[in-house]
Amino acid sequence: MDRHNPINSEPGILNLSHAQVFVYMLLAVITILFLFLTNAYVFRMNFEDWQPLPMPSLLWLNTCSLVVASMGMAWATRGAKKNNQTSLKTGLLVGGLFALFFLTGQFWAWQQLIEYGYLLANNPANTFFYLITALHGLHISCGVVAWMVITKKSWNPNGDRPSPSQVSLLATYWHYLLLIWVMMFGLFLST
Amino acid sequence: MEQSAAYEGQQVYHPKGWWGHYVFSQDHKIIALQYTCVALAIGLTGMFLSMMMRMQLGFPGLFDSIDAGNYYQDVTMHGMIMVIYLLTALFLGGFGNYLIPLMLGSRDMAFPFVNMLSFWVYFLSVIILSASFFVPSGPTGAGWTLYPPQSILEGTPGGDGAGILLMLISLAVFIIAFTMGGLNYITTVLQSRARGMTLMRMPLIIWCIFLATFLGLLAFPALFVGAIMLTFDRVLETSFFMPEIFKGGEVLDYGGGSPVLFQHLFWFFGHPEVYIIALPAFGIISELISCHARKNIFGYNMMVWALVAIAGISFIVWAHHMYVAGMNPYLGFFFATTTLIIAVPTAIKVYNWVLTLWHANIKMTVPMLYCLAFLITFLIGGLTGLFLGNVSVDVPLSDTYFVVGHFHMVMAVSPVLALYGGLYHWFPSVTGRMLDDRLGKIHFWITFVGTYLIYFPMHYIGFLGVPRRYYSNEQYDFIPQSVADLNQFITICALIVGASQFILLYNFVNSTIRGKKASKNPWGACTLEWQALESPPGHGNWGDQLPVVYRWPYDYGLPGATADFVPQNVPDEQIT
Repeated sequence: MDRHNPINSEPGILNLSHAQVFVYMLLAVITILFLFLTNAYVFRMNFEDWQPLPMPSLLWLNTCSLVVASMGMAWATRGAKKNNQTSLKTGLLVGGLFALFFLTGQFWAWQQLIEYGYLLANNPANTFFYLITALHGLHISCGVVAWMVITKKSWNPNGDRPSPSQVSLLATYWHYLLLIWVMMFGLFLST
Repeated sequence: MEQSAAYEGQQVYHPKGWWGHYVFSQDHKIIALQYTCVALAIGLTGMFLSMMMRMQLGFPGLFDSIDAGNYYQDVTMHGMIMVIYLLTALFLGGFGNYLIPLMLGSRDMAFPFVNMLSFWVYFLSVIILSASFFVPSGPTGAGWTLYPPQSILEGTPGGDGAGILLMLISLAVFIIAFTMGGLNYITTVLQSRARGMTLMRMPLIIWCIFLATFLGLLAFPALFVGAIMLTFDRVLETSFFMPEIFKGGEVLDYGGGSPVLFQHLFWFFGHPEVYIIALPAFGIISELISCHARKNIFGYNMMVWALVAIAGISFIVWAHHMYVAGMNPYLGFFFATTTLIIAVPTAIKVYNWVLTLWHANIKMTVPMLYCLAFLITFLIGGLTGLFLGNVSVDVPLSDTYFVVGHFHMVMAVSPVLALYGGLYHWFPSVTGRMLDDRLGKIHFWITFVGTYLIYFPMHYIGFLGVPRRYYSNEQYDFIPQSVADLNQFITICALIVGASQFILLYNFVNSTIRGKKASKNPWGACTLEWQALESPPGHGNWGDQLPVVYRWPYDYGLPGATADFVPQNVPDEQIT
């Protein structure tokens, strides 16, 4: 260790921006949260009273909307990087609206399950399903708040446009929540 | 001015009006003060609750108002308040907020608005927690570990009312506040260091707060999940944790759940939580011991790697809190082994502190007294931890006063000694005035000697097999009269120590108003928080120009220098 000479080190790690470090760490925390839920799910699954519930086929459609939402965000990121306002705006709209479709779809899937009598407190498998989808939905909803801020900014005629890094971080959040959904959906399907 | 270019991304926020300056402030120093004041206020409540417990144990039946239910509520709230709402909040929210930007040569936290939000959400969690004192059946009395099924069933104090719910909600809100603050600390440490402040030139306390924050961010989600699932079990009658329960001949709606699952979730958080509290205490001691012994810290690199090792291993020891919950003996063996291994990096730290003192120019200031007291106390608490880490020793001692003595020594008295040392050390930086030295020494000696008189006898009571958490020890033949006498003695000591904390409080208030004016760097410390232009540091911390760092933070007694310390921002050519 060099203790006595000035070092011309630039502040920051791996050339990441403040916001990137913040969001990546946040994603790590979210990962841990869902990891604990998965652990608890697998632990509880091995008890006698566990009865898996059928997955409504609507969930496949919801998964597709989340994939499209993610693609929309990727499109918006490209638009922002190339300063192409049309693709930025279209991408953002696709990304946000399909995320909202996903949320509506998830809510609908709940309704279907309730209709078929798979109530929250009937079985631990049901409770886990509602709890995990609710927490995932809550994270998507928080993303939608950030999406609204950035989308409003990009329609602002004379204000600051959202920077490519902001749009790209929002897209990262979208991709990551898609990944988490796929993992959780996979967990539900395989058990 | 090339400095400002590197910091273009970090905009400095400018407060507007009195509210902006002192209430909804985004300045890390004000937020640190807000965290400290709220944490100390709720901590005083926690101390008052412990006095109520001691009155019952020392003089059973003296107060009619303390019944078994109240007693359990006092025990529960005392534990939770002290561990989470006082120590975690004060070390990370208070010390973390104040020291990270100042010690790293930054203008503020990376995200000041999120930082402000973090405090207000923490404040909300304290309000929710305090509200449980005022609901009809009072706060929860389930014990601070909140083990189901008992914690959410009727009959447990607070279990039939809102008490347990308010506790669980308050914890979830606290975790959200901590996450916002924690992400900020991590980002600031990684991103906002002054030029020349490499990671291996950071003061050890910043390393400690940084790693403790990491632990918190990775461990608190376990408690969050546990709290939400327990809330579901309580409100929606689900059965995550609830087995089949027969109550008064009736079968309750629950069935099939696993109480041990909650224990795993709780302790996966609970053990790292010990280090979330201990690491900042280690950091404070490292700073204080080096500065007040006028000698560089021994083995800086080893200290950093020991911290990293402690942080890592702390995630694989949690089940040593669950030896009696019923576990596979091989699993017990594994957790006993990891528990003993964590003693190695911890011992490295203790040796390094002792070696720092070796042949040093030790100044017996109040902060140094606290350092020495910490070293002894932490050593004793750590040694009894080695006993309890072994399954075969733990099983007979489990749930006795030996455990109470152990954890109070290692994670209550030790961190509080470090905390007080830190408060005395950094008080001049915050207020520009010195704390009264004479009052400080009186407060120190009463606290230090008093805590030993309180907790040492508890080990002995534990060896006699007296169970913890019992409201009354009177009806048991195996508990001799000497225990009642000792309990009286402990209670009297506890009352004296409790009362002596008001000396500190008085010293704070009096010295803030009338204290002796402090010079800019009264302790002659090398770290950056004492090198700001003004004392106390103004808004934006550094005036026009950010500091540049040329050396590590412990250049005490540098050969060739006239002064016995060289601050971090002094280049070699300016050393006189």
